[in-house]
Amino acid sequence: MAYVAQRIVFSILSLFVLLFITFLLSHVVAGDPAIVAAGPNAGAAKIALLREQMGLDKPLLTQFAIYCGQILQGDLGTSWFTRQPIASDVLRELPPSLELVFIAMLINLAVSLPLGLLTARYAGSRFDDLVRLGVMAGAGLPVFWIAIILQQIVAGRWQLLPTAGRLGFANREFSGATGFYLFDSLAAGNMNVFLDTLAHLVLPAFALSLLFTAVGVRITRTAMIGEFRKDYVTLARAKGASEPRIMFRHVFANGATPALTVFGMQFGWMLGATVLVEEIFGRPGIGRYAVKAVTQSDIHAVVAVVFVVGVVFLLANLLVDIALYVLSPRKQQRA
Amino acid sequence: MRFKSGLIPLCAVLLASVAVPTMALAAPTGTLVIAENETPENLDPANATNSTVDELLLGAYDPLVQFSAGATEVTPRLAKSWEISPDGLTYTFKLRDDVLFHDGSKLTAEDVKFTLDRLKAAAANVLNDMGPYASAEVVDPTTVKLHLSAPFGPFLSALSRIYVVNKALVEPHMGDDHARQWLSVNEAGSGPYMITAYNPTESVTLKAFDKYWGGWDGNHVAEVVFRYITEPSTQLSLLKSGEVHIAPDITVEDKIALKTEPGFVVDVGAAATPLFFDFNTASKGPTGNKKFREMLSKTFDRQLHLDQVLMGFGALPDGPLPANWMGHEAGTEQAFDLEAAKKMVEENGWKGTTLTVRYLPAILEEKAAVEQLQSNLAEIGITLNAEGMTWPAQAATLQKVETTADINMIYSFPVFPDPHAILNATFNGALTGAKGGYNWAQYSNPDVDALLNEAASSSDSAKRAELYKKAQKLIGEDYVVITVSNPGSVVALSDKVEGYKYNVAHHQTFNYMDIGLKP
Repeated sequence: MAYVAQRIVFSILSLFVLLFITFLLSHVVAGDPAIVAAGPNAGAAKIALLREQMGLDKPLLTQFAIYCGQILQGDLGTSWFTRQPIASDVLRELPPSLELVFIAMLINLAVSLPLGLLTARYAGSRFDDLVRLGVMAGAGLPVFWIAIILQQIVAGRWQLLPTAGRLGFANREFSGATGFYLFDSLAAGNMNVFLDTLAHLVLPAFALSLLFTAVGVRITRTAMIGEFRKDYVTLARAKGASEPRIMFRHVFANGATPALTVFGMQFGWMLGATVLVEEIFGRPGIGRYAVKAVTQSDIHAVVAVVFVVGVVFLLANLLVDIALYVLSPRKQQRA
Repeated sequence: MRFKSGLIPLCAVLLASVAVPTMALAAPTGTLVIAENETPENLDPANATNSTVDELLLGAYDPLVQFSAGATEVTPRLAKSWEISPDGLTYTFKLRDDVLFHDGSKLTAEDVKFTLDRLKAAAANVLNDMGPYASAEVVDPTTVKLHLSAPFGPFLSALSRIYVVNKALVEPHMGDDHARQWLSVNEAGSGPYMITAYNPTESVTLKAFDKYWGGWDGNHVAEVVFRYITEPSTQLSLLKSGEVHIAPDITVEDKIALKTEPGFVVDVGAAATPLFFDFNTASKGPTGNKKFREMLSKTFDRQLHLDQVLMGFGALPDGPLPANWMGHEAGTEQAFDLEAAKKMVEENGWKGTTLTVRYLPAILEEKAAVEQLQSNLAEIGITLNAEGMTWPAQAATLQKVETTADINMIYSFPVFPDPHAILNATFNGALTGAKGGYNWAQYSNPDVDALLNEAASSSDSAKRAELYKKAQKLIGEDYVVITVSNPGSVVALSDKVEGYKYNVAHHQTFNYMDIGLKP
């Protein structure tokens, strides 16, 4: 229990460090948001007034302290440009991005785990070489390029999947309570929208997952190779256990721990990387919102996005850590 | 409150159900889908200076007077007629009495006054260009007087972005932010289309308002959808697959290819958004020297830029104003003459000078222009350092003369087609970057200021034209800018689109209210 509490406290602390760095960098890089907000031919007086209204005339540390105070009260502030509470903006943009990341993560796990396990089992074989080659290629391809190629060929030439957007034209008026269309459509019993949503997710999710899958396969392979060399595998073989039983029941169960830790981190990284695929596939989401916020110097919105992505990242890691802790027989005994 | 749960769609459904039998003439049909690369920041008419906001409001709201697409003069809209007092200080507008807001209530002079009072209290960006506007006064339900503190020639033109809001709907949400939060996601207009869904990072949907006072004669669409697609190749794919009808942001190369492809039309609108190299005229460095600026102003080949960067889509600039505008003066800027520039460099010992230009690398045209200038200057022994920035960062450097680079790139985006909108913003000493304006040359010449101010306060267009001509001559003699280009507004369309026309008063918007789809 103490371990879990310690992890949580540590997570919260790292979140505030992250906030401070983002806040600082935004202010250094952004130029003057008041000029942007003031519009053309505004005049110095109006810009000065806006700067005061936006709190930009206060020292940076004071601004940060005020901002942290707001966040502790659960208030992410109001966007200078959308004029909406940033929390409601983010809540609208998060579901489409999370949906994309979930599917990309599923693809990642579905490919990484079995390929990692098999290449570890048959390390050094032709098969291993072939997969390694594929992985190198996958890791080396720029995401935006592969996304455009997929779009041009699979959606454009073959017309197998939609080119862009979140839903097809016929379903454009669909909306649901949670914003997670996969969930909302199922809840509404609307299979048509569910399949449409899924079809629109395949290409972007695949493009997003590619780089992560390449890393995932390597990590899994490395973790599993170590396990295959351990004494208990030799013992199991000597006792006549079948090879599939050794692979899945023993090696996989024991070797998955380091790999899972990485997958936990990948979830957060993916959420931070959605922007490229969102722009190319014309999808709404947190990445696009963040880009707009950055180009307008909407500092509070930028910091809020970093904060939320940070929270998701830490949560994913925390969950993996806790799950591993709970599942680990050794630690259970000690507790 | 969002549209999905809001009042407006409910009204729309109710109105649609009662209005259908009364429709005598052609009803709008079909859905027009427009791709747009930049997402809107909000729906507030206070921000109508921003084109991504303006394009949504243009169909949803009505101003008193408006520039129709293709027109260079305002025509009546909410105002049937108007009178200007002899001293130019009072504008009396007679309003139509048949205008309904989207909630079915009647538009009156009270709404006009409320709109302007709200904009003023909120220090709205859209009032930045309204000159000496002072106050509004309701005379009777169909008469409103607008008072100015000084005469302002382009006042009527400037009113074309003052979108009248429904007082009864907006007033309860005024709060302490002048209803900015509410109007940012809700619409309260009387225009031909109602905004029925607002998902700013994805799409915005507008539906025809069947009780629109202008009626629905001719071919119109029942629904307009803006889809926010950043990637040019995605816009192209969607245009080709028929999922969008208008794609403004595909690459120049693809636009050229589409010109000869059946099924598509490429329209080149005569835009008035000149791109400038602004020389820091107030600098203590080399650009503070008029002679040095004279040399610089000979070092850019506009024709080459038009041919190779704009691929011919645009007009060769001749000074800061488009050549067909009232008050244009020809031949005020230096022609490209690298030999003459080289001679000046040698005679004055300027070889080895290092200059800095700041620009937005995200805009390919700016990047290409910087590269040309860099290479031309290198040929005559001057080093040009290029610093790419974001807009907010670049704008911030202009707040002081000392932090202003030797050269800055900037487009002029006039909010109405009048010389004032380009010349005043770019050259008036009252609007230098240091004073919070877009005169990024930090240029201040009292004679020019006097001419620009006199022209702005006159409503006699012949007199104004003369004053602007004189001002351009003086500006030319001070070598303040290089007008790099006058890019055309190039839009790729499906050939199913009927009635598209570029609107110079609303750059980067679409006249979807005039557009119909061929069957």
